Amino acid sequence: MHDFMSLLPLIIIGSGAILLMLLAAFEKIEVELAAYISMAIFGIGFVVQLLVGCGDQTVLFEKVFNGMLVSSNFTMIAGLIILGCGFFTAMCSHTYFKINQFCTLEFYSMMLFGACGMLLLSLSQELITAFIALEIMSLAIYILVGYDRTNVTSTEAILKYLMLGAFAGAFFTMGTALIYGGAASTKFADISTSIVDGSASHALMIGGAFLLFVALLFKVAAIPFHAWVIDVYEGAPTPVTGFMATALKTAVFAVFANFLALNDSLHGDWVTFLFYISVFTMFGGNLIAIGQNNLKRMLAASGIVHSGYLLIALVAISAEHFTGSVIGYYLAAYAVGTMGMFAALSYLGGKGEERMNFDDFKGLAKVRPYSAAAIAVFLLSMAGIPPTAGFMAKFYVITSAITAGHMALAVLGVVSSILSMWYYLRLIINMYFHDSEETFETSGSPLASAATFVLVFCVFAIGIYPIVI
Amino acid sequence: MFEYALSVMIFLPILSGLVLLLSPVSKGAARLVGFLVSVVILLLGVEIFLGFTGTGGMEYVQNRPWVESLGISYGLGVDGISLLVLMAATVLFPMVFSVLKTQSKGYYANLLITQGAMIGAICATDLVLFYIFWEIMLLPIFFMIGLYGGENRLSATLKITIYTIAGSLLMLAALIYVGVSYHAQFGKWTFDIVQLAALDLSGGWAILAFIMFMIAFAIKTPLFPFHTWLPDAYTEAPTAATFVLSAIMAKIGVYGVIRFVVPVFEIEFARFAILLSLAGVTGMIYCGLAAISQKDMKRMLAFSSASHMGIIALGVFCMNVQALTGTLFQIAAHATSTGVLFLFVGLMEERMKTRDIDDLGGIAYKAPIFATFFAITMLASVGLPGTSGFIGEFLIILGAIKFNAFIGVLAGTALVIGVCYMLWMFQRVFFEKSNARTVEFQDLSTSELLTFLPVILLIVAMGIFPQAFIKKIEPAAQQQVAKVFAMTQAQVADTKVPNPGHNNHKN
Repeated sequence: MHDFMSLLPLIIIGSGAILLMLLAAFEKIEVELAAYISMAIFGIGFVVQLLVGCGDQTVLFEKVFNGMLVSSNFTMIAGLIILGCGFFTAMCSHTYFKINQFCTLEFYSMMLFGACGMLLLSLSQELITAFIALEIMSLAIYILVGYDRTNVTSTEAILKYLMLGAFAGAFFTMGTALIYGGAASTKFADISTSIVDGSASHALMIGGAFLLFVALLFKVAAIPFHAWVIDVYEGAPTPVTGFMATALKTAVFAVFANFLALNDSLHGDWVTFLFYISVFTMFGGNLIAIGQNNLKRMLAASGIVHSGYLLIALVAISAEHFTGSVIGYYLAAYAVGTMGMFAALSYLGGKGEERMNFDDFKGLAKVRPYSAAAIAVFLLSMAGIPPTAGFMAKFYVITSAITAGHMALAVLGVVSSILSMWYYLRLIINMYFHDSEETFETSGSPLASAATFVLVFCVFAIGIYPIVI
Repeated sequence: MFEYALSVMIFLPILSGLVLLLSPVSKGAARLVGFLVSVVILLLGVEIFLGFTGTGGMEYVQNRPWVESLGISYGLGVDGISLLVLMAATVLFPMVFSVLKTQSKGYYANLLITQGAMIGAICATDLVLFYIFWEIMLLPIFFMIGLYGGENRLSATLKITIYTIAGSLLMLAALIYVGVSYHAQFGKWTFDIVQLAALDLSGGWAILAFIMFMIAFAIKTPLFPFHTWLPDAYTEAPTAATFVLSAIMAKIGVYGVIRFVVPVFEIEFARFAILLSLAGVTGMIYCGLAAISQKDMKRMLAFSSASHMGIIALGVFCMNVQALTGTLFQIAAHATSTGVLFLFVGLMEERMKTRDIDDLGGIAYKAPIFATFFAITMLASVGLPGTSGFIGEFLIILGAIKFNAFIGVLAGTALVIGVCYMLWMFQRVFFEKSNARTVEFQDLSTSELLTFLPVILLIVAMGIFPQAFIKKIEPAAQQQVAKVFAMTQAQVADTKVPNPGHNNHKN
């Protein structure tokens, strides 16, 4: 029964996706109603996930699924983040598509399919399952990115993402094949066993794991696999960008951590590699972000930086006592902050996303003080200023790094967050310390603003009551 | 009844500040609320001061676990080290609300939030809790300078914010290092400062962590050579923000060193003491000389404040009871004198729309009361016997000579520079010929007179009856020093003033 309950959120989201697809085929409902339906599905999924809770590591339906899916506290947290992000994305989309009218019913169905793939990805402990989940997720996201077919930037974005994403998928399969060749299994548990008893071929394991890491690092936009992320984030519709930045990253990091944590010696082999990747990701991301004028591009680059911090946490995990709490908490904190930013941009962006540059937000605080305050809170959370969630998240990541003996990495992480102050403060300065030239009239529904303020509450709630840890 | 006094003092201003920000009230109402809240805080502060027994330990303790898995707790308390800093943060605020009448709602709200956060930073006994308040107290200042500051406010805001946040983040890494080391040595997590003192740190990372802590506090204080943000920020900031920065926030930097760095990093601290005290003296001389050449009164006071922070910091680095007691006393004395001087300059700027020393003159003939008040405060800042400034500086110089005669003599001589710029400025602004601008200068109104009078009396009282204050802080200072050198208290208390040139540090 417990196995079924653990799968229930996935089942709910999956059937919701199919339901919406059918409704779309019959063209019986309005787009707005579809938004409410998907909100409801995500909401129910979230509540169910919360109620089911989870104990320790459990293999779900071991006989039927042959150990492909494993649930744990960590996957539950990842699931909650994904479902929560889906819920808020649906809210933002409702508003966004009132202003920008290129939405059809399939949009929400695709979003649910994407979330379905993400949930599956976070649960999977087997490489083929992970690959299938990754592709379910990616295909849905490709479509969402290019949803505005008449928009040139969107088309550019989808082309870039699809081409590079296909490569990443290919790398993943190749890596799976090599690992299967080396360890004679695609199940994480069996791979670990064969590494321990020495039957795995070292060369094949190295090659396979490297290719897997390339694919995963591509999905989380770690440097040097980050080239797509800036343009794709800019081209995608704002709510979709928010969904990608938060839920997708959560799912990929979940499977990444699960794979790394399968064995200490595997993790030990790759620590140095991940160390340098994370340093380059943090500093490179900061340099990219400092140069941006467009907010979505800046947030994309800041997403790279946050991937760097998450990689610190990955470097610091210990396979023996892996709980994923640090990564889970960081993902949650990052998700609320980023989701909040995109929720605010969904309704402040205006028609055709006309307001997206730093300069467009000059004087926002004078005209819309509450929105400006909300954005300031999200930015401060991303910058890691207490008492927001971002601070506690940074605190745990640095603690885990120092505990694992990576003092240098902790110091570099701190230096990198000093650099990142610049572009977060820049927007706050623009909003507060300049006079407004425009009125920031917004149309659409109030759902996105509601999402924004709920997320402000979440930023403080998660920061002040860090229950996960 | 006063068990939760500290929590109330922290959260009452923060919450009322937030409520003010979020609700549409007029600026008059905001000022009234601010004034009332700060008076309540003042009364609580006085109650704590009177009820404080001065045995050397923590009093008014509150301790509640917060994040148990990492041993972070909500721990508050006051001891002799924090008592006078806490007083500085509570006693002076009603004055600000009373004097500055024409500001907007956000101004008063930010002021309240920063007060609460500063009290939090002063009372926190948990390193993480301290860090949280330490960061929060900067945010209102950021907004105040950016929104209500002078012409070049943007660059000043960015400078102070990035400077201080850079320091704070380094401190974050260092404090986590301390916590993790404790966990490694004792097998449990805690960030409680009393327990952390048991740590035995050594090696390269310990030195790095020590330097990171010191950079954070040196930036906030500011200690030479990390003072470059100060002139711009102090000059561009609105009066209340300058007041807060100079009178209280700078002191929290020094206080942080005494409270968190010295007990944990005894060895590193002793090793770097000479270097740090030289930095203190250099800052004192350098900023003093810079103050002489300033044309803008506020900028001159900014440099003077930096110069005084040099000597206050010096008292910490000398590591003996005299100097430490002197520092703790001087923290309060300097808060009253410099804080009030900045308010006075703010008043003058409001009335005459200029701060340029050359544009002023002859104010004393038009406004005798104002000139008298200004003179008393200024003399306290210079360190004239009979005012609060004398006691602290005397004790610090005494301790400095005991620590290292060269540094002591240098610091004692450098005090003359302070007299130079202050008296010269006073002469040019208050005497000499009055001009068209200063002829119309209004003397203090009755309400202003009543506002400033208590502080002026306090300055004199602290100069004449210092024992009332010193007896509360000395036991804690003795304990602190005793801990550092693992001596018994009796030995430290019996220490005679040693021969000149005697070097008290152990390395």
